[in-house]
Amino acid sequence: MVDLTLQSGLVERIYWLIRLRWIAIIGLSLTVLFVDKIFAIPIYAFPLYAIAGILSIYNLIFLVYLNSITKIKIANLTTIANRIANIQISFDLVSLTALIHFSGGIENPFIFYFIFHMIIASILLSRRASFLQATFATVLFILMVNLEYHNILPHHCLKGFVPFTLHNNILYISGVYFVFISTLYIAVYMATSISKRLREREKTLAEANLLLEEKDRIKSEYVLRVSHDIKEHLSAIQGCLEPVVEGITGELNPKQRDLIRRADERTEKLLYFVRALLEISRIKLSKHIEMDYFSLKNAVDNALNFIETKAKDKGISLSVNIEAGIDTIRGAEVYIEETIANMLANSVKYTPRNGKIGIEVKDEGDSVLIQISDTGIGIPKNELPKIFDEFYRARNAREVERNGTGLGLSIAKQVIERHKGKIWVESEEGKGSTFSVTLPKS
Amino acid sequence: MAKILIIDDDPDLVEAMKVVLESKNHYVINAKDGEEGLRKAKADRPDLIILDIMMETSDKGFDVARQLKWDEKYKNIPILMLTAIKDRTGLDFKKEAGDETWLPVDDYMEKPLKPEELVSKVESLLKNK
Repeated sequence: MVDLTLQSGLVERIYWLIRLRWIAIIGLSLTVLFVDKIFAIPIYAFPLYAIAGILSIYNLIFLVYLNSITKIKIANLTTIANRIANIQISFDLVSLTALIHFSGGIENPFIFYFIFHMIIASILLSRRASFLQATFATVLFILMVNLEYHNILPHHCLKGFVPFTLHNNILYISGVYFVFISTLYIAVYMATSISKRLREREKTLAEANLLLEEKDRIKSEYVLRVSHDIKEHLSAIQGCLEPVVEGITGELNPKQRDLIRRADERTEKLLYFVRALLEISRIKLSKHIEMDYFSLKNAVDNALNFIETKAKDKGISLSVNIEAGIDTIRGAEVYIEETIANMLANSVKYTPRNGKIGIEVKDEGDSVLIQISDTGIGIPKNELPKIFDEFYRARNAREVERNGTGLGLSIAKQVIERHKGKIWVESEEGKGSTFSVTLPKS
Repeated sequence: MAKILIIDDDPDLVEAMKVVLESKNHYVINAKDGEEGLRKAKADRPDLIILDIMMETSDKGFDVARQLKWDEKYKNIPILMLTAIKDRTGLDFKKEAGDETWLPVDDYMEKPLKPEELVSKVESLLKNK
C-alpha cells in the first residue's frame, strides 16, 4: 500500500513532465519562429523545428505508453515508471544538446537550461540516477564542444547575438566547462537533498495513514463486538419489561407503571443507538457489499411510505419528482432504500409543522442525482463541515430533538461512498437544507 | 390452549415469553439448547416451536429447524424463528421466510420481541396449522 502511493506519485510526476515538455515544445517553436521571422536573425531554423518535431513524437509515444500501462494493473509499475523517467530525461538531454549545437554551441547561453533537467531528474529519480544523468549531460556537452572545436562537427555561429566566435577559444571553453559542470552537480546535490527529505516525509505520512486505518478497523471490530453483546442484554431487558408495562403480569399502581414505562422507553432508545452503532461498524468492516440491479424508483417509493404518516401528522407537504427516465441502478437495494428513508426521516424530524419537503431524482447520464430539500431548521454554517462525522449533532438539532444518535448521516455517507457515490449538503440556518446524493448507475 | 416449546439459550427472554404466552393460557415448555430442543420437540410433540437462531453456534437454530422440517413426523409443527441476525449479516428474512431450501421456518420475529407481536404471530401460526 505504501508502495502504491509512491508508485502513483511517480506516475503522476511523469505525466507532469510530459505536460512540461509540451510547453517546452511550444516555447521552442515560438522562439525559433520569432527569431527567424520577426527579428530576421539568420539561424538554422529547419533543424530546430525538426528537433521540436522529434520531441513531440517521443512525447506522444511516452504519453500513449504511460496511459496503456496505468490502465492495466501491473505489479512492477514502479520499475517501469522509473525506467520511463530515466529514458525520457536522457532523450531530453540529447535533444537539448542537439538544439544547442544548431544554435551556437558553447556560445549559446541556453546551455544553462541543462539545470532544469537536473532538477527534474532529482525530483523523479534516485540520487544515484540523478548524478548519472548529470554525468551524461556533462559527457554530451563536452563531446559537442570538442567535436565543434576540432571541426569534426560544423560550428553554427549565433551571428545575430554573439559578434565573435568562441568555440575555438580554449580559455573560454575551460571557463564554461568549470562553471557548467559544477553548476550541474551542485544543482543535483541540492535538489536531491531536498527531494529525498520530501520523499521520506511522504513515506512516513503514508505509513501513518495506513496505521490509522488499521486502528480504525480494530476500533470498529471492538465496537461491533461490544454493541452486539449490549444489544443481547438490552433485548432481554426489554423483553422482561414489556409484559409488565402492558399489564400482562397484573395491574400496577400508577407510580410503578410510570417508572417501569420510563425504564422501558430508555431501553428502547438505547437499543436504537446500539443498532445504529452496529450498522455503521458492520458497513465499515465489510470488505464487500452485495450489489445488484434494482429499481431506484421503487426504493424511493418505499422510503416515502416509511415517512408518509409522520409527515402527514406534522402537516408537512411532500413533493416528489422522479425524472421519467429513471430506472434501475446497481447497488445494495436495502442500504440505498434505508439511506433515502433515513434522510427523509431527518427532514421530517427537523422541519417544523406545515413545512415542505421535496425529493427529486434526476438522470445525469452515468449517474443519478437524488436531492432531498426541506424548509427545516437548517444547519449552522460553522457546523456544516462536521455534519457527516460520527456522533456529531448540530447545536440546533440537539435543541429540537434531545435524543439522536448522531450516526444517521455518517451511516448514509458510508453507504454512499461504498457505492462510489457522493453525498453533500447545502443549508442555511432557519431556512432549510438540501441533501444531495449522486450514485453511479452501474 | 396450545403446547408451545421455546428453544432459546437466554433464560431471561424465555421467562418473559413464558409470562406473555401463559397469560394467553398456553402451556409453555422450554429447552436451553439445540439438542435438548430436538429431543423435547420429538418427545413432547408441541403444537408450535419458538426457536432462537443463535445458540451454542451462530446458526444452531437452522440445524434444528432443518432436522424437524425434513422429518415427515414433525414437519407439520409450525416454527417461529427468533433472530437478531440482521444485525450481523444484513440479511433480510422477509423474502426467504417459507422458502424450504433456505429458511425452513413458518415465520420469524426480530428481537427484541413486542408482546402483542409475539401473541399475534403465535395465534396466527396456530390457526393456520
